[in-house]
Amino acid sequence: MKQILSLTKRNVKLFFRDKGMLISSLITPVILLFLYAVFLFDIYRDTFTSAIPAGIPYDKDIIDGLVGGLLLSSLLAVSTITVSFCANLYMVQDKVTKARNDLTITPVKPYKIALGYYFGTFCNGMIISLVALTLGCVYLAFTGWYLSFLDILALLGDVILLVLLGTSLSSLICYPLTTQGQLSAVGTIISAGYGFLCGAYMPLAQYGEGLRNVLMCLPGTYGTSLLRNHALRGVYAEMESQNFPAEALDAMKTVSDCHIEFFGHRVEVWQMYLVLAGAVVVLTGGYILIHYIAGKCRKKQKKTK
Amino acid sequence: MEDIIRIEHLHKSYGEVKAVQDISFRVRKGELFAFLGLNGAGKSTTISIMCGQLRKDGGMVEINGKNLDGNQEEIKRDLGVVFQNSVLDKALSVYDNLETRAALYGITGKAFKTRLAELTELFDLKDILKRPIGKLSGGQSRRVDVARALLHQPKILILDEPTTGLDPQTRKTVWGILDDLRKREELTVFLTTHYMEEAADADYVVILDNGKISAEGTPLQLKNEYAGDFITIYGDEEKVKALGKDYETVSAGVYRIAVTDTAEATALILQNPEAFTDYEIVKGKMDDVFLAATGKKLTGGEV
Repeated sequence: MKQILSLTKRNVKLFFRDKGMLISSLITPVILLFLYAVFLFDIYRDTFTSAIPAGIPYDKDIIDGLVGGLLLSSLLAVSTITVSFCANLYMVQDKVTKARNDLTITPVKPYKIALGYYFGTFCNGMIISLVALTLGCVYLAFTGWYLSFLDILALLGDVILLVLLGTSLSSLICYPLTTQGQLSAVGTIISAGYGFLCGAYMPLAQYGEGLRNVLMCLPGTYGTSLLRNHALRGVYAEMESQNFPAEALDAMKTVSDCHIEFFGHRVEVWQMYLVLAGAVVVLTGGYILIHYIAGKCRKKQKKTK
Repeated sequence: MEDIIRIEHLHKSYGEVKAVQDISFRVRKGELFAFLGLNGAGKSTTISIMCGQLRKDGGMVEINGKNLDGNQEEIKRDLGVVFQNSVLDKALSVYDNLETRAALYGITGKAFKTRLAELTELFDLKDILKRPIGKLSGGQSRRVDVARALLHQPKILILDEPTTGLDPQTRKTVWGILDDLRKREELTVFLTTHYMEEAADADYVVILDNGKISAEGTPLQLKNEYAGDFITIYGDEEKVKALGKDYETVSAGVYRIAVTDTAEATALILQNPEAFTDYEIVKGKMDDVFLAATGKKLTGGEV
């Protein structure tokens, strides 16, 4: 256990001592927040305002809170995954710099080295994501605060689950990578594509049914919806208390991806947790399995000699 | 003296390339063993197999009485390795690097502090403990590499061209410490180097060429077998010419004649005393041995 702890500590220290890596990780949520606030806030506000049928009374501050919550959830949905990838690149970097050799010449078992990367990535991902969550909350305090303490705890839980998803996914993807070129290719693809794939940049409700069904097969989508549900719960509760028509409220929840459907069936929040947790278990299991198989292959090759 | 490393009929290929071809050798406990060879000769491949970084295709490797097959973990505790280039984490401090690596050998807490204090004293690390590896000079960084390799008090220290690029003073310091450790703790040093003077100081030398052993023995045996002796004569060229032997002009008034051994040199001097008023007889150098054994020239900077 001490060995895993020591390796985790090393990987966390390496991440935070590498100013380039740290700044690029920290700047991702800051840039996203800035872009959302500058370019998307007004568009989203206008979309929601125009979607409300005429004659329904509502507080304009609520719409600002709604859009703020939407942007916060998008920010967290993307940064939890991209930051995990960024943090896990050390697994590849160690192969490039041959620092890995200095670890494997010790009697430490390979699975402990693998777990060191896993936990290191999780810690780094969590630290940066918590910074993003804090920044997002500060932003919400200005645009419209409707979160309860329980909502923040729920958001924290979502962040933990999503960072775990990012950690396990990046561990699996980064495992076979050995060069700097492969490293930057993966980084670019993830940064560019993931936001669209998980429904963070564009709500799923705006996609066609076919594409929506495809995206619903990806676990990240459920993470985004979980975040939306918890970031917007207070806003929708406030609307309800102001006698906002239930039908219009339901439509808004669909448009904001709080309500999502898997091939026509409404997915409940507990089911989203289940899918996300299941994905983490499967991906982490895959990561363990790869190491197990690699270890078996090594032993088998030795026996055949 | 007992054997601490036994390698028998070792084979390793990378596809069609045969990196190591049926090599066998032994290293005795406490000795300074030197592996000589050009790039691609198979030195690093052999070391990597010994350290469990590479799988062998065939043969037997026994280290400290344990067969490599099935005892890798235990063998790793007996080995300390200084890689050709530093592989420590450049962004982390010397202390952080040593602390992390020590933990991988199960050395933590008080045990680590005690060992760190010993190594700090031995390698004069006190002033650089908090500095990042990336900010150290070549010599300082090398001292840390050797200290890291000795963290767990290994029985065998493997040095893969350890003094490449070091200034003579640092090289002397590193070797001073290693010589002391060999004497005090019976540390076996397994060295690959392209510095002939380092190989000449070894107890036993193995010369590798194209994955095969070309020659082996103590430096004296190798010199006697492959290099012969040289007589350097200071004086008149006409008298040297009159000896009827091939000679080489070292500089003005200095000439060198190659002879097979000291007996031939003695005979030549006795037969021609007038030509030998000022002279010296020296053994051939390891460069000559390498050239004779492999037909290739091993020059300092190229290997």
